[in-house]
Amino acid sequence: MVPTAGLSFRPVHFGAALAAPAVGLWFEVHAENYMVAGGPRLAMLEALRREKPLSLHGVGLSLAGADDPDAEHLAALRALCRRFEPFLVSEHLAWSRSGGVAFPDLLPFPRSTEALHRVARNIDIAQHALGRQILIENPSLYLALDGHAWSETDFLAELVRRTGCRLLVDVNNVFVSARNLGFAPEAYLDALPVEAIGEIHLAGHKPDPVHGAALLIDSHDAPVAEAVWDLYARLLGRMAPLPAPTLIERDGDIPSFDVLMAERNRAASLMRHPGKVPAHA
Amino acid sequence: MPDLAVFQDAFAEALLAPEPHGRLARAPGFAVYRNTCAHGIVEALRAAFPTVGCLLGEEGFTGAALAFRDAQPPASPILSRYGSGFAGFLARQPWTSGLPYLADVALLDWLWLDAHLAADRAARRAPGVGADCFQPLRLTLHPAARFAWLDSPAVTIWLAHRCPGGFEELAPEWRPEGALVTRAGGGAMLQPIGRAEHRLLAAVAAGAPVRSLERAVGAGADLPTLIARLIACGALLPV
Repeated sequence: MVPTAGLSFRPVHFGAALAAPAVGLWFEVHAENYMVAGGPRLAMLEALRREKPLSLHGVGLSLAGADDPDAEHLAALRALCRRFEPFLVSEHLAWSRSGGVAFPDLLPFPRSTEALHRVARNIDIAQHALGRQILIENPSLYLALDGHAWSETDFLAELVRRTGCRLLVDVNNVFVSARNLGFAPEAYLDALPVEAIGEIHLAGHKPDPVHGAALLIDSHDAPVAEAVWDLYARLLGRMAPLPAPTLIERDGDIPSFDVLMAERNRAASLMRHPGKVPAHA
Repeated sequence: MPDLAVFQDAFAEALLAPEPHGRLARAPGFAVYRNTCAHGIVEALRAAFPTVGCLLGEEGFTGAALAFRDAQPPASPILSRYGSGFAGFLARQPWTSGLPYLADVALLDWLWLDAHLAADRAARRAPGVGADCFQPLRLTLHPAARFAWLDSPAVTIWLAHRCPGGFEELAPEWRPEGALVTRAGGGAMLQPIGRAEHRLLAAVAAGAPVRSLERAVGAGADLPTLIARLIACGALLPV
């Protein structure tokens, strides 16, 4: 079975996820949630993995950190890869560790040439340790930083060229970053090296409670916005006839499995017919 | 020091500072990162310590969790293993002196989670002997078994909050209690235990041979019955 459109796996949906007959359906989990010794959490993921393709999405490698990736963390990720044989493994263009503290967030940095060398080296270390290619995701950005020598799309393309990694394009993150930092999301998508895109994320966002629509938060607790569906269709148009596996990401305010499947089916339908304007659910 | 490291050190310091200042901290977007970090840590602790959350209420728990974050920020991105020091931290806070059972309840939440996420190992059945005549050569603790002896009636309080049913009239007698968490079937289960069972578990955990357990448990205890019961609930493994 070729994985088409997938969903973030939520344990509350375990039964429905296992039984879902949709062709091409796959699931993604945060790798860190399964870096435990044993127990029902791992048993549940094993049962799911027997039925559906699985993608491991890391949030803790800190690939844009100034230090090498943590060897212990990398070993834990390698053990998960061996156990679950995911069809995709992804991480972020961000850092999350500094001075012995792990921050549960994906933090920004100036895209300098020094940073490019550092991130490329860290991706090399990770891919070597895992013995496989990984995908790198564009983060949602909230701050205009000084010191960028590279645009994000050029930076990502250069990482692909130097390390052989591929890209996970989060279309919602592109939309959120574009709004927050004031650039055109269409131009960003058009500048991406489409042949390197191995996965796409779609998620919902919310306006900041204090600053409103001028500051969008990548909250993952709402349906995918229509503007993001439009950008997704545009990206698929560029990629036609080869779409990338697409994930509906949902981490908060979890609706029923059927509601998530409706969004997932909309993505699957667009992947089949990238030229068509998406039917609004 | 390379620029990237300088930038990240300053950014990390501003994320952890009680009152961050400077140009970075004034940007509205910076608060998003601060809030996301704080929220991730507080919610990870709330998920790990649901009974403490019940006792303190939402706002009270958030305050305690942020104070703990300031004292012991996470060193690993695996947040389901964050909070091993929370019970000890609560015990040292002056404001918990009015809630002398709180730290023990936090310890029970942690033991439950620790058992829930511990390594698997199928308990082998004893080879065709009844409980009364069963005398294994050696016993080990199941990797998912956790136990404690507490100075407060925290087990009664924990069970009343974690199990469905009213606890409005809860006024436990103030006495020490023992707890055992096992994962015999699917999820982890916490049950009260007595002194003899606790002594037996502690002796096995310390590697005591079966022949010395009689003395460890003390006079008056029915050792074969205790052993059989602890094997049956998945706390001990005959090897």
